[in-house]
Amino acid sequence: MSFLKSFLMFLCLMAGLVGTGAAQSDLESLRPLVNALAEGKYKETQKQIGDLAATGNPAVAPALEALGAGELFFRKSDKQVFIAKKAGKGYALSDPLTLEDAGETGRRAVTKIKVNNNLRRVIRSALGSLTLLAPDPKVRMAAAEAVFKAKDPEAIESLEAAIAKEIDDDVRLVMEQARAAAVLNSDGSDGDKLEAIETLASMGNREALSLLIGLRDSSEGEVQQAATRAVNTINKSLALWDNAQNIWYGISLGSVLLLAAIGLAITFGVMGVINMAHGEMVMIGAYVTFVVQELIRSSAPGLFEYSLFIALPLAFLVSGAIGVGIERGVIRWLYGRPLETLLATWGISLILQQAVRSIFGPTNREVGNPDWMSGAFELGQLTITYNRMWIVVFAILVFAGLMLVLKKTSFGLFTRAVTQNRRMAASMGIRTPWIDAMTFGLGSGIAGIAGVALSQIDNVSPNLGQGYIIDSFMVVVFGGVGNLWGTLVGAMTLGVVNKFLEPYAGAVLGKILVLVFIILFIQKRPRGLFALKGRAVEA
Amino acid sequence: MKKTLTGLALAGLMTSTFAGLSYAQEETIKVGILHSLSGTMAISETTLKDAMLMLIEEQNKKGGVLGKKLEAVVVDPASDWPLFAEKARELIEVNGVDAVFGCWTSVSRKSVLPVFEELNSLLFYPVQYEGEESQRNVFYTGAAPNTQAIPAVDYLMSEEGGSVERWVLAGTDYVYPRTTNKILEAYLKSKGVAEEDIMINYTPFGHSDWQTIVSDIKTFGSAGKKTAVVSTINGDANVPFYKELGNAGIKAEDIPVVAFSVGEEELAGLDTAPLVGHLAAWNYFQSADTDANAEFIETWQAFTGDEDRVTNDPMEASYIGFNMWVEAVEKAGTTDADAVIDAIVGVSVPNLTGGYSAMMPNHHITKPVLIGEIQEDGQFETVWETSGLVGGDAWSDYLEGSKDLISDWRAPMSCGNFNVKTGKCGGSDS
Amino acid sequence: MMTSFLFRALDAKAGVFVAILLAVIVAVPALNLLTPPDSPFHVPTYAVTLMGKYLTYALLALSVDLVWGFCGILSLGHGAFFALGGYAMGMYLMRQIGTRGVYGDPILPDFMVFLNWNELPWYWYGFDMAWFAFLLVLLVPGALAFIFGWFAFRSRVTGVYLSIITQALTYALLLAFFRNDMGFGGNNGLTDFKDILGFDVQANTTRAGLFAASGLALMICFLICRAITRSKLGKVLVAVRDAESRTRFLGYRVENYKLFVWVISAMMAGIAGSLYVPQVGIINPGEFAPANSIEAVIWVAVGGRGTLVGAVIGAVLVNFAKTWFTAALPDVWLFALGALFVIVTLFLPKGIVGTISQGWTAIRQRKLSAAYADGSDEPPNLPPNSPAAPANVTRAAPSSGAEPQPAE
Repeated sequence: MSFLKSFLMFLCLMAGLVGTGAAQSDLESLRPLVNALAEGKYKETQKQIGDLAATGNPAVAPALEALGAGELFFRKSDKQVFIAKKAGKGYALSDPLTLEDAGETGRRAVTKIKVNNNLRRVIRSALGSLTLLAPDPKVRMAAAEAVFKAKDPEAIESLEAAIAKEIDDDVRLVMEQARAAAVLNSDGSDGDKLEAIETLASMGNREALSLLIGLRDSSEGEVQQAATRAVNTINKSLALWDNAQNIWYGISLGSVLLLAAIGLAITFGVMGVINMAHGEMVMIGAYVTFVVQELIRSSAPGLFEYSLFIALPLAFLVSGAIGVGIERGVIRWLYGRPLETLLATWGISLILQQAVRSIFGPTNREVGNPDWMSGAFELGQLTITYNRMWIVVFAILVFAGLMLVLKKTSFGLFTRAVTQNRRMAASMGIRTPWIDAMTFGLGSGIAGIAGVALSQIDNVSPNLGQGYIIDSFMVVVFGGVGNLWGTLVGAMTLGVVNKFLEPYAGAVLGKILVLVFIILFIQKRPRGLFALKGRAVEA
Repeated sequence: MKKTLTGLALAGLMTSTFAGLSYAQEETIKVGILHSLSGTMAISETTLKDAMLMLIEEQNKKGGVLGKKLEAVVVDPASDWPLFAEKARELIEVNGVDAVFGCWTSVSRKSVLPVFEELNSLLFYPVQYEGEESQRNVFYTGAAPNTQAIPAVDYLMSEEGGSVERWVLAGTDYVYPRTTNKILEAYLKSKGVAEEDIMINYTPFGHSDWQTIVSDIKTFGSAGKKTAVVSTINGDANVPFYKELGNAGIKAEDIPVVAFSVGEEELAGLDTAPLVGHLAAWNYFQSADTDANAEFIETWQAFTGDEDRVTNDPMEASYIGFNMWVEAVEKAGTTDADAVIDAIVGVSVPNLTGGYSAMMPNHHITKPVLIGEIQEDGQFETVWETSGLVGGDAWSDYLEGSKDLISDWRAPMSCGNFNVKTGKCGGSDS
Repeated sequence: MMTSFLFRALDAKAGVFVAILLAVIVAVPALNLLTPPDSPFHVPTYAVTLMGKYLTYALLALSVDLVWGFCGILSLGHGAFFALGGYAMGMYLMRQIGTRGVYGDPILPDFMVFLNWNELPWYWYGFDMAWFAFLLVLLVPGALAFIFGWFAFRSRVTGVYLSIITQALTYALLLAFFRNDMGFGGNNGLTDFKDILGFDVQANTTRAGLFAASGLALMICFLICRAITRSKLGKVLVAVRDAESRTRFLGYRVENYKLFVWVISAMMAGIAGSLYVPQVGIINPGEFAPANSIEAVIWVAVGGRGTLVGAVIGAVLVNFAKTWFTAALPDVWLFALGALFVIVTLFLPKGIVGTISQGWTAIRQRKLSAAYADGSDEPPNLPPNSPAAPANVTRAAPSSGAEPQPAE
């Protein structure tokens, strides 16, 4: 998005520069070309885009950009083309070349110029060669990437001009790669091609691989040999990266499992309540995020980037309060009868699901990703998406925070005392009922903030919790009931094992194998990975 | 005490039985709505229940059917397949409904089939499905593979669609994707696509961790040929799939995804900005620019009291099915199942995309096929459509077992699986 | 010997239950088949099938109660045995379709035809013979339970760990049966049944017969459970439930006792599943869902854990409530069902039957005390462990160590 903004700013600037004096007539000579877009179907549109790009005049870039974004319209009455933005019930129009305001119009008075994937691709490469010389390095980078994808031999010249002027090393690198891609596609000499193969081989990624495979299959002689060598080298290094990728995916899956399970590790692991309503606490956290985002959208759109930070404490409080309510209302009557907590919390989970369904409707709700949670970056040949990365970080922070609370605060001390020996703790003056309520509230609250994180990668629907409850129990039991470290190690182990199995066995069989693995593991260690020792075990 | 309880249970059943009977005495025509309102399928089906209630209300405003008001009977089969059969039986036997609108997913339909056959009632099934079925008591108003999947693939293979040469068939592991992918695989091979240019991948229901598969798709797509993904991924799993796709930077211009189970309703739960250009194939889009559709959307949004409520293809299928039933009942002059079954073949009613849909002898309907691209506002923009209407095929021409079968429920053939090779009703040679 | 074993199970209370069950088994089919449809006594076929389904659920609940109520093994995966029994029966019914499938293939079921399977997988062999299928209804769940129990009990996996791995077991099977490659019809499962033992499954008489068969199976299994729990073996089981380590130190091979009831219970669940399938007309992987197994546990808890009659009543009652709610309150029935579970746990901790018989004992005690005070010379106490009372109900000591606690 930020790219788009700076791009538009650049366009305004350009328009401002060329819009003065003599350039004005230049612009007017472009107008028939732009207005031609109002005619014809996709095929004609494609030709018209080509005509516009052939002018080589950056002034047509805003129109093309708008066309790609579906914001280029023509007025039905006179077939004049405008850039149109939604404004109330109608559209706000602006001139596609001068970008001057052109008033508002009703919805029915204008028609959108349709584009499809093919056209978007054509527009992208056209824009790429038009903006290679833009002042903003980000725009140039995007342009270079677009040209790389287009691999159009005709762009070689403008690329070379751009490379000569380029001052940013990163951008120049991409431009050179784009040039190499274009050279491979051209009728250039073998020497040029060999050089291009070298450039691409050093990229080492899948895009380069795809180009080289294409070359290997279509060329002959020395070029083919070089391409084959390059393909083999890239394949080898990619195989290594695949393992790194599996580990990363495993950690990422593990951190999702950890988030889902960690609240349960408290309510179930520490307190012994078989909390079937745990998943619903996660769901409620996700719905809190939804509500927060809705409020922000309607009243303070500027805060959207911070919506998750606002949602976190709220989700903790809402889920925590519901948890305290459940503990006070139902569970406190059931201590010493853990299996009955299963029954009662199962009932509660049905009620909570239906309540959410009645309030928010049964369909998925949209929870948006803030910009810092969208997209991905490359680490070597590893594509790491931001949302997964932040979730890993967040899971670790939650875990650390929880450990701190339990080990370093007096509340944590009381909690551990009560769960280890309730009567002794009571005799020492600890208000055990209060501690029970707060501990359950803590577990539920943690589930709530897990919901905020999960809303970023999963459906926000009344069934959200159901999808995680079984996995959560598996993680807690596998790690060892009553041990938070066990939950951490358990979640990560299951995540990584799952992701290493998936490429070979497929997603379904992989999951089955993990379950069988858990069953067998429990035979070996009947108390989980980190078993509690001592008399408490047989209590 | 055991006795009292059993007695109570029995008494309860009896009273509900008699209550049902006594209602039936009143001058209404009862229509059953069999959609899950809880459980995993509620997410999709609740909308259809509301749509049916709206259609019935509108019909009553127009004076009902045969001069009688319609009365909706709603039950909740709770996404539990055996419960579908039980509830269907309850609707027909206890509540005495004359037609049932409902089910979603093949397994729920398969579960109720024997009930409708035994009790000779009518079921209108409004969702796209894998075909390979034609039953006398069931009317399939959703798409069959040849009215959805095959045109979509045709489009992608065309120059306009991007001349795709390499295919990923990704689906949830159940019968609809399996069958559709079998058909597509055979179809693609018949068009000269090589074995190694097809990748088939299945995932469990509700799959939420798509990292590995998205990266596999990326890898598969980097073999130098234009690649597309044909997705038969089931409803719930789509949101995390598209989120992962968007974040991993797979753009529609590079690797387009065409989906058969993603409609406006599913997109309502997603930020569609990174997904612009990915495709879906349906027989209806909310963006269809016709007066009938504008009126339908307006009624729907007024009925639900939500200005942003979207419409989708299964709703249109319900709309068509309901109107066909009304028309057939008026034509037959009775709600009797046999009379309606005879009368409904050939009935043609307006659809919402500006044409007429007709019920064919194989109990499937004719529809236009639309390919749409996802837009930033969560709507689809039609980028391609069939020039005429396409009739749903019960039996695929691309599957070994079914290519010789046809279905025609008109007299004198009255057969759902007539084998043209052996000239006998009842499947293959035996 | 077998007769004396079963005979021992029949005392007054069990007798009443068996008599009622017999009456239902005879009356319901008779009222369905013999009375005209407009008679006030007519039981519609719909109700017969529905009650038949309840009876199979009751049998499932009984099997859960046997291991949970009497041996302290909380299984959150009994649905797996139920579903396996159901699949064995379903495979038999599929083979009976013969050429009447839509493709008319004499051997392959429809779903294999259109997914291009060329021959029947080996594990489908033999299912065209009724005796073989019925044998596997018992053997498959039994064998799985034996293998699972052999390892789990020997490794001393107890309490909540055991509960969770039983859940993992059924969840793994759920995923496995969803896979179309397994050859069990995937998500659609097995359906479109025609005949059972040569009778049309849709005929009223067959339905009535299946109802009677479910009732009889329930009765026989009830008597077996009753006999087990009242034998010396049953006493050991209760000892295992209440204090496993202590029982082991007394010299009993705890794992063998557990394994025995575990396998018996799994077989009973298998029978329940096999009778369920022809009545509802479909078996699919959804039956393996962990939620189903949890529900079965809930039926037992509602009826009264540790009382065999309670399990039966709980299953019938909860399912009747579900049937009724889903039709009467389709939009909000989950509230009602959820509230039912919470209320039962809070106010009827021993379940319905447990609470009633506890109340009954209290009233008798009070009457006796009153009589004693009036000058009768009979001492006011019941025999300490009245054989007539359901096993654990009368002597449950709240919040002491005696309450079975599978979780620590």
